[in-house]
Amino acid sequence: MGKPIKKILVYIDGTEQSVNAAQYAICLASFSGAELIAHYVINTRAVEDLLRARIFLKDEQVEYEHDMEADAERYLNYVNELAVKKGVPIIKKCSKGTVHKEIVNTVNEDEIDLLVIGELSRIRSRRDEFYDENERAMRAVHCSVLIVKDEDRVWEMYESLA
Amino acid sequence: MALIDLIVEKIVKTPLESKDKPDVLRELVRILKDAEEIDDFDSALKAVQNREDKQSTGLEKSIAVPHAKTDAVSSLKLAIGIAPQGIDFDSIDGEPSKLFFLLLAPPNQPGTHVEALAEIAKLARSKAFCKALVSADNAKEVVELMEGG
Repeated sequence: MGKPIKKILVYIDGTEQSVNAAQYAICLASFSGAELIAHYVINTRAVEDLLRARIFLKDEQVEYEHDMEADAERYLNYVNELAVKKGVPIIKKCSKGTVHKEIVNTVNEDEIDLLVIGELSRIRSRRDEFYDENERAMRAVHCSVLIVKDEDRVWEMYESLA
Repeated sequence: MALIDLIVEKIVKTPLESKDKPDVLRELVRILKDAEEIDDFDSALKAVQNREDKQSTGLEKSIAVPHAKTDAVSSLKLAIGIAPQGIDFDSIDGEPSKLFFLLLAPPNQPGTHVEALAEIAKLARSKAFCKALVSADNAKEVVELMEGG
C-alpha cells in the first residue's frame, strides 16, 4: 500500500483559524511526507456582487481587488515562512473567483487527497450555513476534509516540530 | 468573522432620530462611539462622508450601506440604524431609506470588509426580511431577527 496521503491542500483566508490550519498541515506534511499546497482565494465574486448591487463603485472594486491581492501575497508568504522554518516544502497557490468553487477546482486539478481548513464559524443563523464558504467547500469536495481545532494544542505541536 | 458575530444590541438603534443625510451619518457613527467600538469619532465620520461624496450608498428597497476604510478602527465594526419613517439619503431609486448598515473596516482587512458587505447585500435581497427589520420595536428584536434569519 502506498502513502494514504500524498497531497495536502490547506486553505488560507487570512483568519487566525486558517493560519492555525496551516500550522497543523505543516506538521501533517512533515510526519507523512505528503506534498503541501497552501491556497488563497481572492473573493472576486463577492466584489462583483457588490458592484452589481451598487454598494461599490468601479474604482472601489479595483481598489479592493488590489488590496485583496496584496493580502493574499502577505498571508501566503507568512505561511511559507512557517513551513520553511520547519523544513517543509510548500507550494503557494492564489486564485480568484468564488471561494468554494476555486477550492473544489484545485482539489480536482491537483488530485488532492486531504483538504485542511480552519475551525468553522459558529453558526448563529440559518443564513450562515448558506454563506460560509469554508462549509460549502467542505461539503463540495470529493476528498477527505480535516477541520483543525484547538489552537493552543496545534501551536504546541507546530513549535515542537524539529 | 461572520457578520452575525458583530450584531449585538448596543450597535443597533431604532428608531433613528435624524431627519436628513448628514445627521444620519453622524448618528450612525455616534452609535459606534457610544458603544465604545471607536475612539476617533471625527476621522470615522470623515471617512464615511468622503465615500458618500463620491456616490450615495442608498440602494433600492429603502436600504443604505454607508461604508469606509479607516484607521479609526482596528477591526470590522457594524452599526445598524432603522428609521421607519424614512430619510432622504439620495438613494438610487429616489425613495427614502429606512434600513441603514454602517460598516467600518481597517485598511489592512479588505477580505473581511468585502465579505461582510456581501453578506449585507444578500440580506438586502429579501424584501420580507428587510420589512420585518424595519418593523422591529427595539434593538433586541432586531438582533433576534438577524440571528434567526
